[in-house]
Amino acid sequence: MAARCMLIRSGLTFRLQNQLVSRRPSVTPVREKKRWMKAYTYLMAKKLKLEGPPPPKPRWQQPNWDYHSEVHAFSSRLHENFSIELLKAAFINPCYVHAEQERRKQLGVDSETTALVLKDNFQLSEKGASFTKSFLTDWCRASFPSLPHEGVEGIVGHLISPSVVCYVARNLGIEDLTMSAEYPVADDVLGSTFMAVVGALEESSGAERAAFFLRDFLLTQLIGKDLFDMWTVMNPMGLLVEELTKRNLPLPEPRLIRSAGANTVLPLYFVGLYSDTKLLAQGPGETLVGAEEEAARVALRKLYGYTENRRPFDFSPPQLYQQTLLQSVTGN
Amino acid sequence: MTSRGTPSRFLKSVLQNGVGRYVCQLKRVSIIFSKKAQSSLGVRDFIEEGVVDYAKKNPGTVVYVSPQACKVPKIVAEYLNGNTKEELVDNKTSQQILEALTKLTNQSGLDIIRIRKPFHTDSPSIQGQWHPFTNRPPSVGLIRPQNQHAE
Repeated sequence: MAARCMLIRSGLTFRLQNQLVSRRPSVTPVREKKRWMKAYTYLMAKKLKLEGPPPPKPRWQQPNWDYHSEVHAFSSRLHENFSIELLKAAFINPCYVHAEQERRKQLGVDSETTALVLKDNFQLSEKGASFTKSFLTDWCRASFPSLPHEGVEGIVGHLISPSVVCYVARNLGIEDLTMSAEYPVADDVLGSTFMAVVGALEESSGAERAAFFLRDFLLTQLIGKDLFDMWTVMNPMGLLVEELTKRNLPLPEPRLIRSAGANTVLPLYFVGLYSDTKLLAQGPGETLVGAEEEAARVALRKLYGYTENRRPFDFSPPQLYQQTLLQSVTGN
Repeated sequence: MTSRGTPSRFLKSVLQNGVGRYVCQLKRVSIIFSKKAQSSLGVRDFIEEGVVDYAKKNPGTVVYVSPQACKVPKIVAEYLNGNTKEELVDNKTSQQILEALTKLTNQSGLDIIRIRKPFHTDSPSIQGQWHPFTNRPPSVGLIRPQNQHAE
């Protein structure tokens, strides 16, 4: 029964299409009740339900798109002096070049007469990625001098992880300009495009501007982040013992300093860590073990200078930034 | 509808905009109007008088002017976070259209819904979350019910 219905419906659409095609613009439209409309709408709804919504269209396939102006606007929107050729090269991914060559081959275009002269962003991306990594590492070392190597790696790894980089790239409008083989743009392609943009900026206006670009757009993602969200430490107490022995301080001694509601469903314990009869840190927890671990984490944050109430990072514009640096140097 | 039932959000900016540098969030604006319709008269005036000045003043925004047969002219604004906003500008004067465009330029592109508070912070409390020992001197021991007989 259902199959017969579908047959009838498909026959109906065929007739409809014929009707639509054969209707010439010169014929004056008839004012009447459009009785075919109901069946047509019904069929379209059925088709939508069976096939699902159509795949998203990239922005360059939609009306009102001028690539050259878009790239110019991208450059001036971010207040940077990109070299436009480099910036355009930064948006071309190797997968796009490959797909375009395949497409041309399928269309039967002679590859010698109309050669595809496109330089992909592989080198720029590599350059940008290495610059990003080195700059972020230097910045972390300068901002948190006492943070160990693993901690710096954790912070840098969080900042250059695909989720953070793609979030930044999407909100800077890089996704629209990216030339990629498939749409929506895959995360790794978008990440490498972002790195290529950084590389292009470094080549066109120097390492200093690129560093400010990274500071303003990537390092701002650190705001409100906890150290141990980015750097997984399984045994904070062991790490604290290591740090204290490095500094020739006596080992921490956990003591239960406060507790409440031990026999209830919401117990609360406060464990203080003492080193040489001085309180290093105290932390709350629902169990004694948990409270001790939390106290160790608090002590580590204090040691590394990554407490919640630390001085905020300096994000002032370049001229002001240099002035404050000079002042701090002369003050010292 | 009560205020609890309406959608709401916290005050925030896209990508911590303004912490490092300010980035105008309007990436692209299309002015769609008709060449003949009466309702597009103001838009046609604006395109003759003001659109070039606007585009020069905002180099970070791509302005597309597209004449097409339509009864209601509109401004379609696209923002960096991917949102699109349409503003209908039928029967508006050139001055009013410039005002609408300036308003769209200054917006962040986030949904315009109720904002819960006119301020926001990621760390709401400076001294930390309240617990039974907040502001208690360390010398006092365990928490017990208050002494009934003490006068």
